[in-house]
Parts: sequence; structure tokens; C-alpha cells
Amino acid sequence: MTNILIQTIIGGIGIGSLYALVALGTTMIYRSMGLINFAHGSIYMVGTYLGIIWYRGMVLGLQVPFPLAFIIGIILNAIFGFFLERVFRPLADVDLRNMLLGTIGLGYILDNLMIILFGAEGFAVTSPLPTKAIVVAGIKIMPQNIMFIVVAAILVIALQIFLSKSKFGKAMRASAMDREIARTMGIPVNTMNAITFAIGAGLAAAAGILAAPIVYVNPAMGAAVGQKGFASAVLGGLGNIPGAIVGGLLFGVFEAISAGFISSAYTKGIAFIVLLVILMFKPSGILGEKMVEKV
Amino acid sequence: MSNKRKIVKTVIFVLGAIFLLFLPFITKSQYQIHIVNMCGIYILLSLGLNIAMGYTGQFNLAMGPLWGIGGYTAGILNTKFGLPFWVNLPIAILLAGLVGAFVGLPSLKVRAHYLSIVTIGLGEMLNLILVNEEKLTGGVLGILGITAPKFLGIPIDSDGKYYYIILTFVVLGYLLARQIVANRVGRSFRAIRDDPLTAQAMGVNIGNYKILAFFISAAYAGAAGALYAHLNTYISPDIFDYRSTMFIMTMTMVGGIGSLSGSIIGGILLPILQEYLRAIQSWQLVGYGLIILLVVLFVPGGIIQIVQRKAPNHKITLHRRHKSTHAAKKSEENDVLGS
Repeated sequence: MTNILIQTIIGGIGIGSLYALVALGTTMIYRSMGLINFAHGSIYMVGTYLGIIWYRGMVLGLQVPFPLAFIIGIILNAIFGFFLERVFRPLADVDLRNMLLGTIGLGYILDNLMIILFGAEGFAVTSPLPTKAIVVAGIKIMPQNIMFIVVAAILVIALQIFLSKSKFGKAMRASAMDREIARTMGIPVNTMNAITFAIGAGLAAAAGILAAPIVYVNPAMGAAVGQKGFASAVLGGLGNIPGAIVGGLLFGVFEAISAGFISSAYTKGIAFIVLLVILMFKPSGILGEKMVEKV
Repeated sequence: MSNKRKIVKTVIFVLGAIFLLFLPFITKSQYQIHIVNMCGIYILLSLGLNIAMGYTGQFNLAMGPLWGIGGYTAGILNTKFGLPFWVNLPIAILLAGLVGAFVGLPSLKVRAHYLSIVTIGLGEMLNLILVNEEKLTGGVLGILGITAPKFLGIPIDSDGKYYYIILTFVVLGYLLARQIVANRVGRSFRAIRDDPLTAQAMGVNIGNYKILAFFISAAYAGAAGALYAHLNTYISPDIFDYRSTMFIMTMTMVGGIGSLSGSIIGGILLPILQEYLRAIQSWQLVGYGLIILLVVLFVPGGIIQIVQRKAPNHKITLHRRHKSTHAAKKSEENDVLGS
């Protein structure tokens, strides 16, 4: 029983670290631009394609190994994200209801352009790792889960170093904190936002390409992940970077536990119910700043 | 209003009424009148969403699944217990309303974007119930063979006849919504949207009114659901999922958020647009996305803003800081809490 519980939790942390990568993008974009991006799932989907097409030899018949395809996908999606920021920028200042709908509209556009380019059918991706579980002290661990956790951890640490040590990172944090003052200090705020967007898109691509072997890659795959990423960011406290990581991991664990022990049919719903219960006690998320709706 | 304008208005009203009454005789095919009927159902849904989101500022993003609660209530009562439309409709309205009030409970604690993800999640849960409780709901296959309603012994078995039922309920729904938003309840709703703290200071019980807004919007969805089930005689969970919520939200925003006439415009325009765009397949949704984007950026108040040449006087922003300055500016323009 304990073994199965530990196995389930490890599986949850594996998937959860991917949610954390998606949630990081949502949270960082929110923090720097004040934009709630409901199209982040679509950006995740585009990123998955940008990496996996190389791995599957869909570009010029070149078949590149998985790690290289992974890096190419991240870089291409980051470049894509950098320019995409310009499209999203006007939405950051509109009414919240319009912002929601506008980003959803952009998501529709991305999803359907991908359908036009690659077809709606989608494809399965062969795993680069052995699909047999490793047994450690009676606990079965899937190799992919180790890969998810390790790669996500490396990316998160790299992000943390970039944000705290580099000049760019400091400028980004400054412009997220106070746009006007940052601008008077000579920081190009819009460029900083574009870089934030690029990082968010790159992290989403990383999550998507890692997950590709365990999901069915298709242009509609973004919606569900986008929702879960947003839910994770909200769970941890929207705008809070450690919060996004905590939120993503917890959301993954809730899902795994409810799939393994409660009901696999209601997995998605139960994870959201747990989110709801936590928000009732901590309305701004676990690590979020206080923003209570007073009644 | 001058006498002349009054006459013009009356003439337009009478002509419009005649047009609506004889619409089934003008349309060329069963298909066309079916689309008209669907427009009617969408108008009801949009009116419901508008009351929660447009007037009260509460993100009810479970509209699609709540519509499903109405549809499944009617469908189950009809196929399992043989109950007629006229019994199912009020039960569907009440049940969807109650579920909606439950979905609205988190609004007491969380606001705006947090509320949006919570209601999306609760909607997913409702949809999962429709998919998984196969004994009751028929699972992914849904419910087949819902019978057509009867009126004075006449079976309403064609779209042309059904049109009059839908027309009646759309007119009733619109008039009721107008009453709601024009009254004390509506003023409280708007006060909660624009400035909850002031509303509370003025003695509005914010919590009760928020739940009421959710109840009303879900009740509209319930009515739309029962109408949909008995019109199409077939329902399945995928009709009432997240995408339908987005479709309802889109028509409400494109028509005009915070305006009942906007809901009518959006509820007519979007379903028809969808039918026309269907021919171009995937480009359909690209075009659809572009239309949304253009509306959001250039006419944030929706089409009704062009008609009335007036920008919307309400805005929901993320930060209270901006919100209060906006509210202060706004209160100079017109006093919402007044009277």
C-alpha cells in the first residue's frame, strides 16, 4: 500500500513538474505584463510541434536525436514567443473580460493555423527512453518521470540564476515590480516583457516536448494543459514564481492520487475541486499576496 | 423624445413583431428555421451569462455545463419517467439554477480571474458527471428519443412549430431580464461589479446578490437546456462542454457585455456566422478568432457600442488600485449607486 502510494506520488511529481513549467510561463507573463494568458496552452502546443517535427524527421527528412530536438524546440518557441508578445501586448490593458476572450481568440487562431499546417489528426511519438519501470526498493518508477523531474529542475534552477544574477534578469524583475520607475531608469520595459514571453514560451515548449511520448500530439492538445497550468499558477499564487512550481507539483500529485485511489474517470474534476477547497481557505493561492474578496 | 421619433419607433416595433410572427413562413428550409431556433436558445444563454458577467461582474464560466444540466434534466425526466416538456422545463430551470448557485459559492471568497478558473473547473466536473454516470445520462452516447412537446394536444414536432415556443420564451426571458436589471436587484448587481466595498457600505448584501446572479444566469441556462433537449430530441455531453461556454461568452462579448440588446445581437449573429463560416473549415476558427480579436481591441463594448455610439461605462481590471481610480472617474460621469 505504502509502495503504491509512493509510486503514485512520484508519478504525480513527474507530471506535476511539467505543469510547473507551463505554470511558470503563465505566472511570469502575468507578473510582468498583467496579462492573464488563456492562450498559453496553444503556445505549449506550438512548442511541442516545433520540437517534435525535428525528432520525427518531418523537416527535410532530417531525423535528429531527442535531446537536440528538445533544445531546438525550446529555442524556436522562445523566438516565436518573443514576437508573439507584440500581438498580445494591446490585450494587457483592456477590461478583464475582454482580456480573457481576446487571449482565447488568439488561442483559436494558433490552434487552427496548426490544423491547417499539420492536419487535425495528430500522431503518437515513440519514447526515447526505455518504457520498462525501474524498481528501487520495491518501488516502481517510470524512467520518463525521472527525466521530467530532472530536466524541469535544471530548467528551474537555470531560470532562477538568470533572474537573480544576470543584468537582464534584474531588469526584468524591476520592470515587473514597477513599470514606470523601470522605464525612467532606462529599462526598455516592452523588450523585457517580450523576453519574459520568450522564456514562458520556451518553458512551455520544454514541457510539451518532454510530454510528447506519453500523450497524443495534436493541435487540440493545448487547451487542457493550458487550463491545468493556469490552475497550478493560481493554486500557488498567481504572479509568484516559487508558487507556480509548488502549484504545478501539487496539482500533478492531486491528479495522480485521485486517478490512483479515488476515481480515474473524475481525475480532472477532483484536482479542480481540491484547487477550489484550497482557494476557499487561501483565496490568493498558497504563496500569493493577499487579495481577498471581502463580503 | 419627439413625436416623430415615437411614431418611427412604433412602426419599427410593429413591423418587427409581424416579421417575427411570420418568420417560419418566410424561411426557405427546415434547416434555416432550425438555425433560427438555435439562435433563440443562444439568446437565452447569452442573457443569462450577461446577468452574471456583464451586470454583476462575476465570471460564470460554467455556462455550457449548466446548460447541459438543464438539457439532461429534461432529457432524463422525459425518457425515464415520460414527463412532458411543460413539467420538465420548470424543473430544469430550478435544478440548473440551484447547481449554478453552488458553482457561484466560490465567488464569496475569490474574484475575477481566480473565479474564472474555479468555475471552469467546476464546469469540467459537471461535464464529467454527464460523461461518466452512464446509467443516468447514457455516457458519451447521450440520450436519444426525447419526445416533442405538445401544446393543447397538438404535437410541436417541427422546427416551424417549435419556433413559436422558443419565441415566447425568448420574449419572456428578455422582459424578465429587463425587469431584473432595471430594479433594485439590478442596481445592487451593478454596484457589486463597479465597487464592491462601496456597495457593501450602502447596505447591499454582496454575498447573497452574487449567489443570486449565479442562480439567475444558471436558470436561463436551464431553460435553454430544456428547450434544446426537446427541440433536438438528442443530447450528448460534448454539446455542453467548455467550448460551448466559450461560444456563449463570445456571443455575449461581441454583442455587447452589460447590455441585454447586445445579447440578442450576439445570440443571432454568432450562430449564423458559424453556419456560414463552416464551409471554410479550419479557416473558420481562424476567422472567428480574428473577429474576436478585432472586437476586443477596437469595440470593447461589442456591436451595441457601435449602435448606441457609447463606450461601455464599466470596466473590470485586475488591480484594485486601478479599479478605484476608474470607479472615481466613473462616478463623476453617472452615479450608479444613486436613486
